[in-house]
Amino acid sequence: MPSLFGIAWKNLRRKRLRSLLTIVGIALSTWVLVSLLGFNQGYENSLNKDIDNLGFQVLLTAKGCPYEAATLMLKGGTGLKYMSESIIDSVIANPQVEKVTPMLMHAVFDPNKGESGGITAFLGIDPTTYPAMKSYLVFQQGQWFDQPEALEAVFGYEAAELEQREVGDLYLLPEAEVEIKVVGVLKRSGTQDDGTIFLPIKTLQKVYDVEGKITSVGIKVQKETDLTAYEDELYKMQDVQVVSMAQVKQTISNLVATARVMVMSIALIAILIAMVGVMNTVLMSVLERWQEIGIMKSMGAMTSHIFKLIWFETILLTFVGGVIGSIMSWILASVTDTLIRSVLPYSPTSSLVQIDILLALKAIGIIMGIGIISGIYPAFKAAKIRPIEAIRSTDGEI
Amino acid sequence: MTKSTNPLISVADLKKIYVRGSEHIHAVYGISLDISKGDYIAFVGPSGSGKTTLLHLLGCLDNPTEGSLTVNGQNVFSNDRSMNERELTKLRRELFGYVFQKFYLIPTLTVRENITLPFAFYQKNEAEQTADRLADLLGISHRLDHLPKELSGGEMQRVAIARALINKPQILLADEPTGNLDSKRSAEIAEIFHKLNQDEGLTIILVTHNHALAESAGKMVELRDGRLV
Amino acid sequence: MKRGMLLMILLLMAIHGLYAAVGCDLNDPDRDVKRLFPASTGYKTHYVSIQQKGGKALLAKVEQRLGDKFTGLYETMDVPYTVYEIYKGKEVIGYIHGVNQKGQYGGIQVFLALNKQGVIQAFYYQKMTNQAAKSFRSSEFARQFVGLSGQDFASYDPKAGKLEGSLIKIKNPSVKAEADFKATLRGVKKNLILMQEFGYIK
Repeated sequence: MPSLFGIAWKNLRRKRLRSLLTIVGIALSTWVLVSLLGFNQGYENSLNKDIDNLGFQVLLTAKGCPYEAATLMLKGGTGLKYMSESIIDSVIANPQVEKVTPMLMHAVFDPNKGESGGITAFLGIDPTTYPAMKSYLVFQQGQWFDQPEALEAVFGYEAAELEQREVGDLYLLPEAEVEIKVVGVLKRSGTQDDGTIFLPIKTLQKVYDVEGKITSVGIKVQKETDLTAYEDELYKMQDVQVVSMAQVKQTISNLVATARVMVMSIALIAILIAMVGVMNTVLMSVLERWQEIGIMKSMGAMTSHIFKLIWFETILLTFVGGVIGSIMSWILASVTDTLIRSVLPYSPTSSLVQIDILLALKAIGIIMGIGIISGIYPAFKAAKIRPIEAIRSTDGEI
Repeated sequence: MTKSTNPLISVADLKKIYVRGSEHIHAVYGISLDISKGDYIAFVGPSGSGKTTLLHLLGCLDNPTEGSLTVNGQNVFSNDRSMNERELTKLRRELFGYVFQKFYLIPTLTVRENITLPFAFYQKNEAEQTADRLADLLGISHRLDHLPKELSGGEMQRVAIARALINKPQILLADEPTGNLDSKRSAEIAEIFHKLNQDEGLTIILVTHNHALAESAGKMVELRDGRLV
Repeated sequence: MKRGMLLMILLLMAIHGLYAAVGCDLNDPDRDVKRLFPASTGYKTHYVSIQQKGGKALLAKVEQRLGDKFTGLYETMDVPYTVYEIYKGKEVIGYIHGVNQKGQYGGIQVFLALNKQGVIQAFYYQKMTNQAAKSFRSSEFARQFVGLSGQDFASYDPKAGKLEGSLIKIKNPSVKAEADFKATLRGVKKNLILMQEFGYIK
């Protein structure tokens, strides 16, 4: 005894090429949808990862004009304005603060780098507080320096690779021409730490004659602290700039939000086009089976039976297409990642397109939902057929 | 005009009028008729005589323009009231079985599935057993797992007949059942109808151009220009 | 507040850009090719690695010819080498090839401009960190390598560092920089061997 579902399934196999082409259309739309939803998820997560990997929630920097400071830094020299080290004491005095770490960013022009020289960036850190805040940093070789004034350095992986440095090797600080020893090489972290050379802050200050000065302070607050309220307090401090990591995330998110809206609109259009294809396929199939459907009515099929029959066909097409499309997008995730990366102005370092089972199910659900809607008209048309119309549609006799 | 007590189908002054532009075409022009249980009637007549239209009206496949139609004591159509599509569908599946010239088998379903197709729409126990019995009766047991495209014309019509009988109808309606068959197969079908009427007591109403088939029926009724002759 | 955020973003972006992928490419091939081969009209860039060209067997051969093993995190089989094939019209007139070599204080990048026969036409440090870097980068030092080929380096032992035969004329510009002088010579020998093993010169 056949079931409505069985009849629907067998009917799709009647015109295999047509069913296949329709499924391909749906699969492609699903691929677009899943990839873009995956991008939405991935970008957000990657960005958060990059920012969270900074290790601290609030950054204090010296007040000045950051635009100029940044460009000066890029061109070489100590363009960044300094803060006094004493600021650390006033920050740590606040009970809301859990940890504090001072940093000194120093960029030096190295004439030996490349044809006409280049910049090398050094980060002076406090060996007692900095490693604890960045506990996820893993070493390829060696470890952190422990003496505050040691002539030692830890290299990010890419910085080490460029200089072919390993633990035990020497390195010459440019301009100052001071020899330091490499005590650690970090593993790739996928963050900006890969390109950084870390030195004890006191060493860096002494070598480049900027004693008592720092460029930023990283602050980690106690768990229960109201971050916004704490930041408001910091704003009151003289001569400092407060950079909230949460707000940085928000800014970058906003920058990308517009792009995301555009991208989702494109996805929507792709889906609508596929759905029109589904409606067309099912409608054509109904028109071809006009007599058959009429005869089924004469056998006792109610309007609801015919409606369900046609609807099942739509659901099958969208389900199969949706599943294939989801699998495609999962397999091709890295291709999509490369494509997007080439277009965005700033990409976080970890995976941009993150697809998981839940996302795929969500997309399949959306596709099927839209499929169900587009199946309504053909199903309605089929359900309304009267047996006599079906019979008469071929006979010339009255 | 046959009149009897407790007819199975009863029509009075039945009319079917088509409007084509400004023209009114009377396909059926005021026919009154009773059909009793066990009757085997063949409607004959030239093309355009209205026999097929009458068949459709009697089989509740179409609504008359005027007149009354009673089936199995139920008022299907009268000038005051007519059954809605839902009620008609229910009536059809309980009382009627239909056989057409073009067979109308579902090409993607096997013979067995075609025969039991009506049960996709409503529940009935013993469906499989009835199908086997009918297949046996109609000589197509060996074809139950085949698809329609593998069957001859005669075999396909037998499948259609089995399907029409699966719900144990009281009335079998057939519109040119041998129209697409050669004389040998036509004779076989005629034999089947005769047997169903004689042995099973099935009421059969058919329309045909085939003289042999018409003559094998219990009664022949001629129509001309929408009227009984 | 917003400016602070912009600074942060710029910092994040900037540090990303400071360190590009590490192979041994010319920083500015258009300019450098013209400078090293003034008669050239164009060039093609090829990327090769020992892994690609012969795997472990090739590595063993190269090490044997060099007289020293490949060491450390960065001198591996899959390091990409860039060979610039120099054209004058449709004719190949020479090659430019650079190798990374570990120096005392940093990475040394030694580029050689070779003619079709594999004879050094020019020697060039793209990167060299040393207190005496200036003297190493001088034209006097570079000129010492012109005219030499793989054959001249065949018997040179980079571990001992003793100069003999046609190499004896090469002078160390700074007594204090002995390590980097030896590293340079090893780099040159490695450069020439790889060019031969990759099939560009005889």
